[in-house]
Amino acid sequence: MSTPMQREGTMFSTYRFIPTSSLYTLVGLAAVVSVLAFNVADKFYLHVLIMMLFYAAVSSAWNIVGGFAGQLSLGHAAFFGIGAYTSSLLFINFGISPWIGMLIGGVLATLVAGAIGWPSFRLRGPFFTLVTIAFAEVLRILTLYAHDLTRGSIGISVPFRPAVGNFIFRQLSAYAVVALIFLMLTVMVNLWIESSRLGYYLAALREDEDAAQALGIDTARYKLVATLVSAFLTALGGTFYAQYILFIEPFAIFSLDFSVLLAMMAIIGGIGTVWGPVAGAFLVTPLQEGLQAKLGGELHGLHLVVYGAALIVVVILLPQGIVPSIAGRVKRAFGHHEARPAPPVKGES
Amino acid sequence: MILEAENLTKFFGGLAALKEVSFGIAEGEILGLIGPNGAGKTTLFNVLSGAFRSDQGRVVFAGEDVSRLGAPRRCRTGLVRTFQVVKPFSNLSVLQNVMVGSFLRTPDPGLARERALEVMELVGLGARQDQPAKSLTVSDRKRLEVARALATRPRLLLLDEVMAGLTPTELVEMLETLKKIRDRGVTLLVIEHIMAAILTISERILVLHHGEKIADGAPKAVAGDKRVIDAYLGEEYLLA
Repeated sequence: MSTPMQREGTMFSTYRFIPTSSLYTLVGLAAVVSVLAFNVADKFYLHVLIMMLFYAAVSSAWNIVGGFAGQLSLGHAAFFGIGAYTSSLLFINFGISPWIGMLIGGVLATLVAGAIGWPSFRLRGPFFTLVTIAFAEVLRILTLYAHDLTRGSIGISVPFRPAVGNFIFRQLSAYAVVALIFLMLTVMVNLWIESSRLGYYLAALREDEDAAQALGIDTARYKLVATLVSAFLTALGGTFYAQYILFIEPFAIFSLDFSVLLAMMAIIGGIGTVWGPVAGAFLVTPLQEGLQAKLGGELHGLHLVVYGAALIVVVILLPQGIVPSIAGRVKRAFGHHEARPAPPVKGES
Repeated sequence: MILEAENLTKFFGGLAALKEVSFGIAEGEILGLIGPNGAGKTTLFNVLSGAFRSDQGRVVFAGEDVSRLGAPRRCRTGLVRTFQVVKPFSNLSVLQNVMVGSFLRTPDPGLARERALEVMELVGLGARQDQPAKSLTVSDRKRLEVARALATRPRLLLLDEVMAGLTPTELVEMLETLKKIRDRGVTLLVIEHIMAAILTISERILVLHHGEKIADGAPKAVAGDKRVIDAYLGEEYLLA
């Protein structure tokens, strides 16, 4: 039994779920980012690098629900905001380290995701998407309303007290390293899901929910599992953002734009693939940050026009997304035909 | 009896798609289900498999009343159906499609893969494993539908027109496959319009007409039944 699907095999029993090509990509990515983080002197470029890693991680987190499970959420800003507000409020009010606050925020986002997800998964297609948008909007309004707790539209400034325990660093390189670790974590979770039963079940319910149920899959339950994992990781991103920017306010944090951006990066890169959101974020973020810096001052909003045009071009030329299109070409060149890497065979290592 | 249907009634608005249908299936049996279009065959499958709840009556499977259970739970107890309009997971490969089925009985990807390959061999999809499901021909899609359901290790398999649209050669292959499946201890309930096929393979035949059971018996007896000829087979069939 030797087929092209097995060839990627796996290297170590503990990392069975990581195909060799993805392992090399991960290691290569870590190496390149580490070198850049400590050698790029220009603060703007370093900032762009950090935002690339950050968006890649959060878009990967979104991909678990939006991509693997095919449930188009446009309300992930909600989980992001819960993470950002929870750790920041705990830090400024009680002096609790944002590292711990980050985990608490993650758990809180997971609980909220469960409470919202359970009823809304009965809705299919656009109705589900509308509920997620409404959910994030409600949280934004609640944040504005709960002025005594959240300082409403004034927002929260996190005091600049650099210390590792405070999750605040003087050096931007440190943020790059933390963002890199965050990205590696979300990619590993994506890789694990893709190769496990959960990944197969999510793909099945995405492709045809009735057929999935007929094969014994409790589709509502698996959608929920995907949402919980996704919400937790997204909330971690919220804390990272708060600790990096050191200022959060409801309009920026709970914005529909942010939710749409996460989805868009995944779609451009290749929705439902592990490396798609990463590729999408790496492409879109420099474009966005660069255009905003170059054009934002001259004509307000012009960067959005250029950005939108670039997006349309990519979507027309590569409708499946960057990663599947390129992977498809590579595979055709080498004579392989498969939709995605298969899991390793038991007993092989 | 592995399955007992008691007084199943299903309304769509004012229309009774099923009217007090009762029957049983013995373990290891192949039961054919025939009837004209709109007779309620697929509705019966939907009610048995849990896609719909019946308005009256109950479904007892392996001694357990499953009437209140949804489709996934019934599948886990071993009551599994295929769809007349096949529903492949189009963007997954054939192997991955079948693995979704075999994952029901094991969380281990390696084992699921092994079992999926075995089932694919049985239904004649062995050579197609890496192809995306959407690239399959009609007959291979039907095979995939059977393979996926079979991979869940059912005790009773409900097959909805898996022979429609096959060439005569493919039909013979499919009949062989169904016999092999039965020989592995799986009970079969088969909806089919191709009379030659259903008469060959079934040990008993059930006939539905306007949602009512009008005959239930040995193939020969059913084929000669006056009501069945009037409702479904027609005079030409009798002469032929």
